[in-house]
Amino acid sequence: MKTNCSHQSDCLKLIQRILDKEATAEEESTFLANKDQCLPCKEGHELELALRKALKSSCHSKCPSSLIDSIRLKISSILLLILLLIPLFCWFI
Amino acid sequence: MSTETSSVIALTESQSRSLFEKEFVPHLDAMYNFALRLTNDEDDAHDLVQDTCMRAFRFIGSFEPGTYAKAWLFRILKNNFINDYRKKSRGPSKVEFEWVEQSFAGDDDPEPAFQADLKAETVNEMLGDEITTAIQALPVDFRMIIILCDLEEFSYEEMAKILNIPIGTVRSRLHRARAFLKETLASYAEKKGYKTDMLSA
Repeated sequence: MKTNCSHQSDCLKLIQRILDKEATAEEESTFLANKDQCLPCKEGHELELALRKALKSSCHSKCPSSLIDSIRLKISSILLLILLLIPLFCWFI
Repeated sequence: MSTETSSVIALTESQSRSLFEKEFVPHLDAMYNFALRLTNDEDDAHDLVQDTCMRAFRFIGSFEPGTYAKAWLFRILKNNFINDYRKKSRGPSKVEFEWVEQSFAGDDDPEPAFQADLKAETVNEMLGDEITTAIQALPVDFRMIIILCDLEEFSYEEMAKILNIPIGTVRSRLHRARAFLKETLASYAEKKGYKTDMLSA
């Protein structure tokens, strides 16, 4: 296995595009077929995967139900206001 | 107000309500999470999501059902954040913003060094709190793009629309943001004494 990658910066960009689902199927299969022969690419791929996994498991919060209720209430009051204003407007003209 | 209300009037009350339940509610967790990461404050996140929903609701008549509501809502949320919340800047975000804008002065800037001294095993060992602290420590534009991409899995094209920047800038900003995150995590790991037998530089 190679311990040095001469185009590491390009490989890293490719790894990120693959994980972002922005690479072509051909680019992806070529990379996956060759990554085990290059240590920096293999480790780079593992690191990028680990980072995404860590972000997904640690950075999520649920919207508090009080917030959803308060948005529903605000929307209802806007709709009510509009329903009241339309007849008033029609009567006025 | 008249143009705002007219788009609501264009729909019946039940149509508006069902659009809200169908198109907004499923994305509220993601919106709240995004708002919380941006503002770093629960009350501000609460206000930001509420304002975003109200703004989106006013223009719900211009929303085409079947299009991707999540990207539309995130765009409104991000604009809302830039226009309203950043002005009330609580401390460091303004400085961060200037710093980031400077670093994006041109897409031809020299690339940062990407050889972060970090390994997958080290990241796996880290606690959730350390990861979130590292995310919060990123300049807000870096934080924004990493959340959009890695948590919410928007495509580059969708991110370009949400952030109102060209796709090339999405690519380079993401790349820089990730390099920055890795460096931050690497320095945490070093401080906390995680294994850091590095990749060869």
